[in-house]
Amino acid sequence: MQKKIPIFPLIVFFFILSVFFYLLIVDRNPSELPSNLINKNIPTFEAKSLISGKKFISTKEFKGETILVNFFATWCKPCRDEHDFLKKISDKKKVKIIGINYKDSSKKTVIWLKNLGNPYSDVLVDKKGRIAIEWGVYGIPETFVVNSNGIIKYRHVGAITGKIYKKISLIIDKNE
Amino acid sequence: MNRTNNFISKIIFIIFLSFVITQIPDISYSVEPDEILNNQNYELRARNISKNIRCVVCQNQSIDESNAPLAKDLRILIRNKIKEGRNDEEIYEFLTDRYGDFILLKPDINLNTFVLWFLPFCFLIFGIGIVIYHNKKSQ
Repeated sequence: MQKKIPIFPLIVFFFILSVFFYLLIVDRNPSELPSNLINKNIPTFEAKSLISGKKFISTKEFKGETILVNFFATWCKPCRDEHDFLKKISDKKKVKIIGINYKDSSKKTVIWLKNLGNPYSDVLVDKKGRIAIEWGVYGIPETFVVNSNGIIKYRHVGAITGKIYKKISLIIDKNE
Repeated sequence: MNRTNNFISKIIFIIFLSFVITQIPDISYSVEPDEILNNQNYELRARNISKNIRCVVCQNQSIDESNAPLAKDLRILIRNKIKEGRNDEEIYEFLTDRYGDFILLKPDINLNTFVLWFLPFCFLIFGIGIVIYHNKKSQ
């Protein structure tokens, strides 16, 4: 007697196989962290400015123009790596970049900016990392693009590379 | 005969023991002495919330177990919120608003996570169905 080949389990097996295969070849990054703030208003916060020493109130500053927000510290190596890209963005794109100095020494930051150049229109002090939590930051460096209505349009975790620089430039152009 | 019996019972005992040992939950935690609140009720609430919050940088640990700096910041933040008089729901909401559902070790049941929660049950029912169908057929 010839044995019947079970068709149904075979179909299920190939279905599962193709799903796994699809997930294997499709371009995705499972370690990429989800963001909950895209297309939402920026969090409200207050901080001291490292440059002017004045109080910075977010609701007053994020208005009418596209602004980049960059979390950085002098102790963070990738922050040094992306510094040139930030300078390029502030030179070429003429957008304001607000740097948030995460758990760092103010003295060291001033020297750091003097040596490497300052792409920031303002640098805010976040000694305890509370502002970073408001922004849902995982680890620095992290960069956000905020449009003229104060809405977060893009977020990048990690250092800005050539590829990310192009992406950010496109988003800035689109939101202008 | 007796010796082999003895040997077998020893082996069974060792297997049993190894099961018991591996089932003992890992009770380590990373809360540092300076973080602990004086009010025991508050501290207990903070510990309970911390156990449900994922340490986003280490991903498979709760912030209660992790000694990452961000986990410590979040533990302190939770304790401060409790001291301010916020209830547990408000604290969870504060965290998910910023970090998304991802920060919950046990995700809520909502439209996005519906499949995650109920697909296993569908598979179970489906499997039982197949078994019953085959049994009937072979009878």
